[in-house]
Amino acid sequence: MSGVRAVRISIESACEKQVHEVGLDGTETYLPPLSMSQNLARLAQRIDFSQGSGSEEEEAAGTEGDAQDWPGAGSSADQDDEEGVVKFQPSLWPWDSVRNNLRSALTEMCVLYDVLSIVRDKKFMTLDPVSQDALPPKQNPQTLQLISKKKSLAGAAQILLKGAERLTKSVTENQENKLQRDFNSELLRLRQHWKLRKVGDKILGDLSYRSAGSLFPHHGTFEVIKNTDLDLDKKIPEDYCPLDVQIPSDLEGSAYIKVSIQKQAPDIGDLGTVNLFKRPLPKSKPGSPHWQTKLEAAQNVLLCKEIFAQLSREAVQIKSQIPHIVVKNQIISQPFPNLQLSISLCHSSNDKKSQKSTTEKQCPEDHLYVLEHNLHLLIREFHKQTLSSIMMPHPASAPFGHKRMRLSGPQAFDKNEINSLQSSEGLLEKIIKQAKHIFLRSRAAATIDSLASRIEDPQIQAHWSNINDVYESSVKVLITSQGYEQICKSIQLQLNIGVEQIRVVHRDGRVITLSYQEQELQDFLLSQFVMDLKVAARLWFSFLVTNVKTFQKVMFYKITNGVIFVGHSKKFSGIKWKVETLFIKWSCLCLHLALVYYDFFQMFPKEVSRNFDMKCLQINYKYKEEITCKGVLFLKTIIRKCLFSTLKLSLYK
Amino acid sequence: MGVTCVSQMPVAEGKSVQQTVELLTRKLEMLGAEKQGTFCVDCETYHTAASTLGSQGQTGKLMYVMHNSEYPLSCFALFENGPCLIADTNFDVLMVKLKGFFQSAKASKIETRGTRYQYCDFLVKVGTVTMGPSARGISVEVEYGPCVVASDCWSLLLEFLQSFLGSHTPGAPAVFGNRHDAVYGPADTMVQYMELFNKIRKQQQAAAFME
Repeated sequence: MSGVRAVRISIESACEKQVHEVGLDGTETYLPPLSMSQNLARLAQRIDFSQGSGSEEEEAAGTEGDAQDWPGAGSSADQDDEEGVVKFQPSLWPWDSVRNNLRSALTEMCVLYDVLSIVRDKKFMTLDPVSQDALPPKQNPQTLQLISKKKSLAGAAQILLKGAERLTKSVTENQENKLQRDFNSELLRLRQHWKLRKVGDKILGDLSYRSAGSLFPHHGTFEVIKNTDLDLDKKIPEDYCPLDVQIPSDLEGSAYIKVSIQKQAPDIGDLGTVNLFKRPLPKSKPGSPHWQTKLEAAQNVLLCKEIFAQLSREAVQIKSQIPHIVVKNQIISQPFPNLQLSISLCHSSNDKKSQKSTTEKQCPEDHLYVLEHNLHLLIREFHKQTLSSIMMPHPASAPFGHKRMRLSGPQAFDKNEINSLQSSEGLLEKIIKQAKHIFLRSRAAATIDSLASRIEDPQIQAHWSNINDVYESSVKVLITSQGYEQICKSIQLQLNIGVEQIRVVHRDGRVITLSYQEQELQDFLLSQFVMDLKVAARLWFSFLVTNVKTFQKVMFYKITNGVIFVGHSKKFSGIKWKVETLFIKWSCLCLHLALVYYDFFQMFPKEVSRNFDMKCLQINYKYKEEITCKGVLFLKTIIRKCLFSTLKLSLYK
Repeated sequence: MGVTCVSQMPVAEGKSVQQTVELLTRKLEMLGAEKQGTFCVDCETYHTAASTLGSQGQTGKLMYVMHNSEYPLSCFALFENGPCLIADTNFDVLMVKLKGFFQSAKASKIETRGTRYQYCDFLVKVGTVTMGPSARGISVEVEYGPCVVASDCWSLLLEFLQSFLGSHTPGAPAVFGNRHDAVYGPADTMVQYMELFNKIRKQQQAAAFME
């Protein structure tokens, strides 16, 4: 700032003197400012020893007072006045209060010092602690913990109990709901067992076997309806179900297939009036709902209908020698002459009318449960066949039919092979065959049993095999004499009972085929009996009759009868005689021969020869019944004795 | 399926086809064979359509479609020296669809019909070969069931043929010569029939030509 001239500035202190007086002419008389010492004194007076040094209020007040000090002399004058008031007590100079305060402080300090020194000596003054209230006795910490734990546990238990209460409430509610059975939950249960589908607003189900392979044209649909006839005011019945099923009217009730074999053909007029006896329904599982039993029964009716439809279709189509008769609900066929097989569908509805009519006693004994069961099995097999991979085309574009039939073209099968592929037998034929076999088997068993009971000696034993085929059974027949089982081991027959004939296999390999006639089997078995006796008698004749002593020992029988005369001979080895009398003949014969031989021996010892022939004997049958058993026994005793002797025997001469 | 031999029986001098057939059948019955029904083998000829032939002008191949009542569900298709196809009876329907590629030759259907005789393990078929309404010849087929290898039983077959055919016994068929030890199949029988039919057809043509 070279161009600008310097300006003189004078400084004057701002501190102006206090005005003491303003004269009339406007002159001001100033107070002389306080000197340094005066100022200090003024400040010292202001110190208040009664208050702590940390009191800020005083300091604040002090500073305020200080701050106000300069602007207004009036205020300082006031303070001076206050100081003056303080000073007004007989005091003189500003340091007086300070001096007094200091003095009192000193006094007090000295006193304190003295007291402390005396107390330190403990001669004249001691410090006595002030008695305080005893502390509350410390409680056992364990009991405290226990109590605290108990309390906390009680609190937790409370919470848990509340929760449990809530749960039990909900469970009981659920159970109550179960009993009440919500429609939807019941529907869910139904869906677990049966196929359902929704059509419009109706729920329909399928109880036919179509999905299992059946080809029966019945629709088999049932309807599921809501059971709304529930009176809420009354108590809900126990078996209440909110769901009900409506089955087709022709499947109501229960049905079964009755298969029976009768000996005599009934009159033609009796056909078609099969006694339907209502079979008691099979017990349903406890706890299964009523719709389940209803639907199962309806399904069974449908299956029986299918079986019967199949059988009647085959009965009409298949040509057989004796045609099958199909009347109403019965199929009649003749497997054997004088034998009638009747298969009927017994369908009883649940009406009250029919229940009354079926109270008459029916005889269910001729019903062959086995065949009924087999019918069910066969139809199920047929179902499975339609669904099996043999029938279903693989690949999907191949034609339907048996798998091997599809190959028969490209592999050039000839007629034999094609026929073997096609199952030529229908249901009816199979059942008839099975029925024939069952009948034949039971009759063979009856024949054997009757022979066994009628003829005591020799004995016949029959060992039936447990494992049989539907078309074949076998039995092993042994004919033995008591005591001579080892000798008569040769008579062992294996009978294979088939559908229409019985094949006999002898132990020595001969195979004989018998027809279904009962008499044939009986005759054949009797001839085998005779064989047994023949063996025994041959044995008797085959040994050297030189041992007289043996005869003497066993001789106990007296001759009381017997006219023996020479006559026409009957050769020993012929079995052309009638079988029944042959047996008795033989036993008597053997006895008499034994007696005669003994007599002869006694009378004509020289004439006893080895090959004693019966040419000169014939028999008198007077006492044939009485002596039959005893005689044979006698004969056997003789034979036994001879056997145990040292004689050589040749069995089969 | 056993080894089969197909041969032709020439018509006896001064006799018609029918009479010769009767002679043969009588011989067989005296031998002890039992009649077991009838049989029929027929053959249709197709040739490849002209449209499918190349510009080189190669002659179309002839295809024969044959049926045999012995294999009722099968149909045989074969070329002259080529493969033989054994198919389902749907093959006939397929041929209709393949009209564009294979055309049936005119008046080509030839068949043999006759009776079937069973003599223990032998199956003898004596048939009259007809083309249209007229009988052209006699076919004799003998099958020996138990054996499937041609070379093993040819001598046995020959002996049997001699027993009732006498001097007209044929030689070993060509198919036997091809595969001695291979298993004999129905296709080989059909090849033999095809050859027989062709021979008869040529004879017929030659006779017609001569006339």
